[in-house]
Parts: sequence; C-alpha cells; structure tokens
Amino acid sequence: MTDKKIPLIETKNLKKNFGDLEVLKGISETIYKGEVICIIGPSGGGKSTFLRCLNMLEEPTEGEVYFEGEKLDAKSTDIDRHRQKIGMVFQQFNVFPHLKVIDNITLAPTLEKKIPEKEAKETAYKLLEQVGLSDKAEEYPRKLSGGQKQRLAIVRAMAMEPDVMLFDEPTSALDPEMVKGVLEVIKKLADSGMTCVIVTHEMGFAREVSDRILFIDEGVIAEEGTPEEFFTNPKNPRTKEFLSQVL
Amino acid sequence: MGPGILDVLFEYWPIFLKGAIGTLRYAFIAVSLGSLLGALIALMHLSKSKILSSIASLYVNVLRGTPLLVQMYIAYFFLPIAVPVLNNVDKEVYVLIALTMNSSAYVSEIIRGGINSVDPGQNEAARSLGLSASHTMTKIILPQAIKNILPSLANEYIAMIKETSMAGTFMLYELMYTRTLLANKYLSWQPLFIIAGIYLIMTLVLTSLVKLLEKRFSVSD
Repeated sequence: MTDKKIPLIETKNLKKNFGDLEVLKGISETIYKGEVICIIGPSGGGKSTFLRCLNMLEEPTEGEVYFEGEKLDAKSTDIDRHRQKIGMVFQQFNVFPHLKVIDNITLAPTLEKKIPEKEAKETAYKLLEQVGLSDKAEEYPRKLSGGQKQRLAIVRAMAMEPDVMLFDEPTSALDPEMVKGVLEVIKKLADSGMTCVIVTHEMGFAREVSDRILFIDEGVIAEEGTPEEFFTNPKNPRTKEFLSQVL
Repeated sequence: MGPGILDVLFEYWPIFLKGAIGTLRYAFIAVSLGSLLGALIALMHLSKSKILSSIASLYVNVLRGTPLLVQMYIAYFFLPIAVPVLNNVDKEVYVLIALTMNSSAYVSEIIRGGINSVDPGQNEAARSLGLSASHTMTKIILPQAIKNILPSLANEYIAMIKETSMAGTFMLYELMYTRTLLANKYLSWQPLFIIAGIYLIMTLVLTSLVKLLEKRFSVSD
C-alpha cells in the first residue's frame, strides 16, 4: 500500500493544551493515501486528541494540519467541506437516536452533497447490506445492539464517500461478543484500500490490519514502525514496558 | 358577611369568565412571543461570540433578578417616554411587552438547558460528517432538545398564568382585575376565593396535560 506515497494528511509540530495540561507536545507525521495506521498507547497519552485534531474536532493550540494539501486550521478554510471527506467513528457510536437507521445514513449526503433522496437511499441500502443490517433500515437506533450501532456509524460515515476514515477506539464501548463483528467490518474497509487511522487497544487487530503502527505516549510519537518491527523488536523502553503490560 | 361565594359566582359569572379568558390570552401571548424572543436570546447565549453571549447573559440576569411588577411599571411609565412611537398604542401593549420580555428570559434558559442536555457526541458526529453548524442545530440538536424543552415551556405557561395577575394593577381585563370591578359592588372577599379557585383549576388542568405530554415523549425514548 505504502509504495504510492501520496500524502493525505500531514501534521506539523502539532500541539494541544487543555488549560495547563499539555496533551500533544509537537507531533509531525504524514499519513499516506491507502495506508492503514493503528495508533496505540497508554490512556491519557494523547492518541484520541491527535486523531480529533485531524478533522479539527479539537483545534490545535499550535502547529498545522494539512488535508489533501490544504491547511485545515486556516481561517479561510471551509472545514465542513473537508470534513465531508474525513469520516469519523466514535467510541460511543453517536448514532442519531431521533432518526431511523436509513435516515441516519442519508441525512448528510442529501443535505450537504445534494444527492437526490432516491439515490442516497439506494446507496444506503447497499451499505447496510454489506454490514448485515438491511433488515434494520426502518428501525430506530434504540432497537440496535451496541455492535449494530457501531456498524451503522461506520456506514453512515462511508455514505459520504470519504477519502479517509478515522476510528476513535471503535470497539472500546462494546460487549466482548460484539467486538469481532465490528473489527471485521473495519478490516474489510481497510482491505478495500480505504485510508484508515485507527486508535485502538486491540493489539491483535492492530498487528493484523495495519501497515504502520504509531505508539503515542506523553504527547509524542514515541515509536513507529511496521507491525512486525513494532511488536517483535520494539526499540523504545516505554514501548517495551507498554507491550509487556498489554500482551 | 354579605352574599355567599356561590351567590356571587352565579350572579357575576360572565365577569369571571371574561377575566379568565383575559388571563389565558395574556399568558399565551407572553409565552408565545417570549418563546420566539427567548430562542433568539438562547442562541446568542450559546454563540461563540463573547459579546453576544454576555449581552444575552446580562439580559437574562436583569429580567430574572428584578420583580416582574417593577418591570411592568417601568414598561408602563418609561416606554411611552423613551419610545414615542408607542405613545398612541393601547396601554395593554406596555404590559404585554414587560410580560413577553420577562417570559423570554425564562424561556431562553429553558431552551439553553434543553440544547445543553443533548449529548455533545451528537454535535461531534454531525460536524464530523460535514454538516454545517446550522444544519447540525436544526436537524440533530433541536429535534432532540425539544423533548426537554416542550414540557418546561408548558410549565412556563402555567407560571405565566399566575404572573399575569399583576396586569390587573394596570387595569388590564384579566382574572385578578375582576376583584377591582366587584369591589365597587361592595364585595370584598367573595371574589377572591372564586378567583383563587379559577386559577387553581386552570393550573391543575394544565399541569396534568403537561404530565401527559411528558409521558408521551418518554415513550419514544
């Protein structure tokens, strides 16, 4: 995948403070088109904050974020237009409870991309079929299990035909028996060539699916590498310590 | 003692009826217009602009922190001087302006609370899909906030029914004003019990309607 090397997202010296707390201490990283990247690391280390800076859900305190060559935090940037190409999936699913499953998916494409209702619905049904939720289209999300809600959240983002998908601990809020189904959907997506950036605690999954692993600890990328290098021969003592605790 | 309560009610019921209708009408106008104004104040309060949100906050604090009766007096005596255009309008308008502004302060807090009660994740999900701020508000946040807003708004209407009793001070024909009318007929205490009884019936009936409303909303959760 990485042989194409077209940069999709770039951060330069990205810093984020919450009050006095420095959460990101300067991250410069490039994510290339088609790459599947898993971000792992201890809780509170800045993984999610880094991910949320990539679509400006968090505004960086300092530094820059570029998406497809355009600076995202510039005043003149129409952030909504860029966000349409950056799908995001959250730990807590955040499906829209007042909308039917099908309307959860068609809302953004019809409103913001002006796609005709009929066409949006056809796309939505196809996507629902891919994740095994066709029979739930006319239900409200409250009737869905956690795993089904998360699969809905994934196809809701996919319906915008994004260039990259960001996953923020997509399986952390799920019951154990639901995790596999969601990871399978993400893996299928990754295998299809979609650029994915995934914050996860699922080490086995990270090892299997990613082209590259970023280990974020104390606000910096403490180590990065291919899954093979990373898991079998970590160089940073912090990485070794972390892996010894989770593996 | 004079005549009994029932005697007075049977003899003068059209006056009480007219008063009660006046009360419901003033409360309805105040809360309806107050809701529109209150929505605007709430949006100002929630906006990112520090200036707008401090203006809204000041507005709410002043109107909630001073007695409605004082606000009515100011509207009644000061508005015609300050805004000459209002010189020729019915004096009912001054009192209604005071009631509306007062109600808008409370309604804006109801709306703000309703919006804030929606899980912040909903806003993040909508914005991350590329929905504009206004679409996020109208399609995602408000439809969910309305469940919390509507019952509180109905409660505000019930509270306003009682508040309008002060409008009688300014000779506006509402329920409390009937006391003044009947005092001229040497009826000092009987009308008060009738008035209190009518207020109680109105608020009790409306309160039970609100309960029904809340029940219906909770079913769809």
